[in-house]
Amino acid sequence: MTLLELEGVTASYGPVQVLDGVSLSVPENGAFGILGANGAGKTTTLRAISGAVRTGGRIVFDGKDISGLRPDQVAALGIAHVPEGRGSFGDLTVRENLRVGAYLRKDRKGIDQDIDYCLDLFPNLQDRIRSNASALSGGEQQMLAVARAIMSKPRMLLLDEASLGLAPSTAKNVYEAIRRLRLESGIAMVVVEQNANLAFTLVDSATVLETGRNVLTGTSAELRGMDEIRRAYLGG
Amino acid sequence: MGTFVQLVVDGLSTGSVYAAIALAIVLVNQATGLINFAQGGMAVLAAYVAWALTNRGVPLVLAILLSIVFSFVLGAVVERYLMRRFERGDPDTAVVVTIGLLTLITGVAGWLWTYNNQSFPSLFPLDTVSFLGVSVSIRSIGTTLVIVVVMALLQALFVGTKLGLALRAVAINPQSASYSGLPVGRLLMVGWGLAAALGAVAGALVAPQLTLTPGMLDNALVYALAAVILGGLTSPVGVVVAAWIIGVLENLAAVYVPFIGYDLKVAVPFILIFVVLIVRPQGLFGRKTVVRV
Amino acid sequence: MASASAVQATPSPSAASPAPSFTERPWVRRAGALLLLVVLVVAPLVLPQFANETLARVGVFAVAVLGLNVVMGYTGQVSLGQIFFLGLGAYVTAYGVQHDWNVVVVFLLACVVPAVAGLVVALAAARLGGLAIAMVTIALPIVGVPLAKRLGDVTGGSQGISARMGGAPEGSGLYNDQWTLYVVLVIGGIVFLLTRSLVRGKFGRAFAIVKGNEHVASSMGISPYRYKVLAFTIASLIGGVSGFLYMYVIQYTSPETMSFGHSIQLLAAMVIGGAGSIVGSILGGAYYVLVPQLTNEIDASLTALLQGAILLAVLFVLPGGLASLLRAVTRGRRRSGAGNGAAAPSTTPPSTAGSAPAAGEPETERHGHA
Repeated sequence: MTLLELEGVTASYGPVQVLDGVSLSVPENGAFGILGANGAGKTTTLRAISGAVRTGGRIVFDGKDISGLRPDQVAALGIAHVPEGRGSFGDLTVRENLRVGAYLRKDRKGIDQDIDYCLDLFPNLQDRIRSNASALSGGEQQMLAVARAIMSKPRMLLLDEASLGLAPSTAKNVYEAIRRLRLESGIAMVVVEQNANLAFTLVDSATVLETGRNVLTGTSAELRGMDEIRRAYLGG
Repeated sequence: MGTFVQLVVDGLSTGSVYAAIALAIVLVNQATGLINFAQGGMAVLAAYVAWALTNRGVPLVLAILLSIVFSFVLGAVVERYLMRRFERGDPDTAVVVTIGLLTLITGVAGWLWTYNNQSFPSLFPLDTVSFLGVSVSIRSIGTTLVIVVVMALLQALFVGTKLGLALRAVAINPQSASYSGLPVGRLLMVGWGLAAALGAVAGALVAPQLTLTPGMLDNALVYALAAVILGGLTSPVGVVVAAWIIGVLENLAAVYVPFIGYDLKVAVPFILIFVVLIVRPQGLFGRKTVVRV
Repeated sequence: MASASAVQATPSPSAASPAPSFTERPWVRRAGALLLLVVLVVAPLVLPQFANETLARVGVFAVAVLGLNVVMGYTGQVSLGQIFFLGLGAYVTAYGVQHDWNVVVVFLLACVVPAVAGLVVALAAARLGGLAIAMVTIALPIVGVPLAKRLGDVTGGSQGISARMGGAPEGSGLYNDQWTLYVVLVIGGIVFLLTRSLVRGKFGRAFAIVKGNEHVASSMGISPYRYKVLAFTIASLIGGVSGFLYMYVIQYTSPETMSFGHSIQLLAAMVIGGAGSIVGSILGGAYYVLVPQLTNEIDASLTALLQGAILLAVLFVLPGGLASLLRAVTRGRRRSGAGNGAAAPSTTPPSTAGSAPAAGEPETERHGHA
């Protein structure tokens, strides 16, 4: 059954139209990729879902139209956004960052358990639990950003360019952890990724955006097989 | 020797008042990147509210507590309905808005309660206590203690509570905070409210000494801003220490430097700033330039 | 508005449509400037004494606001100390006049002393960057007032100091108020023309870049520090000129002249007139002089309240100040195709006071050599 559905979503920054009718559909427990060149509108699509930009069209989450809600209201419905650039709270410690992620929850015990789960998922964070987030490496900050999202016990994760600026091996580690998270928790995901190869290790299906419009949508297997996709996004 | 100790203790007391206003300014700046020039004016308004309440027979302590609550609400309302649309814009415009607010608040106080000096009852007895052969005024000790306690409470709020954590998170990265479900707008209102409440404490403590007028804290605002420059916007501890240094130094200068005297002691922090600027442009404790460019 | 009606009277070639718009044609501009000059020359002769005196005061504060505009409107550095330089210029002038110095020397000192003071302040304050200039300059009036009181031997202390510079010269056939207004118009006019070419020239472009983005400025080889200091120094110098004019017109100054309240009022006048606008400076000067008079009429105890409310209202609904309203009006007319020189009034001094008859004013004796 469908968890998230976008229908003809539009958005603009000032006079510049960035989304020109984006549609997509993510089933419960599904993972959906958004591919495309720089400026195609991938990040804006995630921001549209989160309510960080004003949009036209319909955005339905769990049967409820969420367009027009504020980001914190969207978060309260169970959508956790891992923003581009990680969005760490630099002057807070790693543990405090995780507690901010759990802001909407009241179950103390559950929060402590989930912190332990995050540290198990990202063992690198274990040693840095008392450090300020600003002292972390890029990879560790990315792990922290995902962990912070997990702490809100979301039903859906919006993942924006998790590999950006990371060494290939680090990016692979991050994606492996996310894959494990998906297997163990069944959280649905919308994944924006420049590196399509990496994305296809995680998502079941995907869409390709060009200038704010869907140009191709299909399952990972279908898309992987297409020549133009391979040429444009898979480096071969 | 006796005079010297008394001067130092008095200086710490006035320094604490500057420190409270300076901290309020830092609090607002951390949350919204603005400098609120109306911080002192809002505190004066709170003092007037307390004064008006005591005139109606409300006990002083209760009146002050009520004025603190009033200030909290005032700060929140000002953030929501006045400052919010200027927060993400040009900081210079926002500064002018706070100056407009200062003018408006001064005008409201002057209109409601005239520009004449009103005497404000003191929380503490005006006696002195002897301590190691030196007499020290109880009011100075009491003022300092109350403000130190209030600061400790604030520190505990910021470090030890979920609300404090949320306030810090919003100050650092509002966008990311909203993705974690933090109601950014409401938290900014709380931040402004807390700053205004802190100012109200300072106003109530210093009003008996200065006597209540709409412009009562204009000078204190200048001292507080000097403390903020010297301490560095990023360092609350630095700001408090700088405020104490200013309070003590100006008191000593007033007595021991004949040219300065009581009327010109307001120049002391700025002489200090000139010296510090030449030696340490980042402020005494700050990490980088005082204000982001 | 004599000029406006006069321009409107000329046949409007609305048929010869869009380009270039009527008010942009060179001959129209030249004619407008000439007309303005004629109005400025004639007005003092025909206006009543009260109006001339008010206009002279408007001129004084228009110059002060112009100075503030150089540092704040054009360079983007909030200064809360401009009134201090007006006060300093006024005291220097008073001191010189009392000691019978040559008036030209007095004028030059009234420019140089505030400029040097401004330079020293800016050298320190501009190091901090950002809002710190506002945080430091707020101290100028707060320190300036007790300092002026303390230096009683020079400043006359709290009592203040008065000094009269000659009235209308004999044989000029002018009343004193007419002569004074001419002096303000000539000196103020020169300052405005010089400032106008400054902000439209090379320095003005540098100021604008520093205001827009200091990083960009640095990357273009424009030192934000140097240009901020320069702008602040020029603003102080212009403040000194306004101080000289203040003394010329009002003939008396006291520490109260540079009080914190006046400093804030001056800033409000600049924002309300229009930041970064020459015309806005004149409107600001008019606001500074006329509005407190008006609010005092309504209820003196409401003055500060109304001023704060007006400032906030302008910031909310008209961030460009009154000057932007004028601009919008002219543009609107231009767009509608009606080429009836609506731009002309924008360069005339606000003549609200001029049109107000002095009737009802107790007729004071008019001094001079008429």
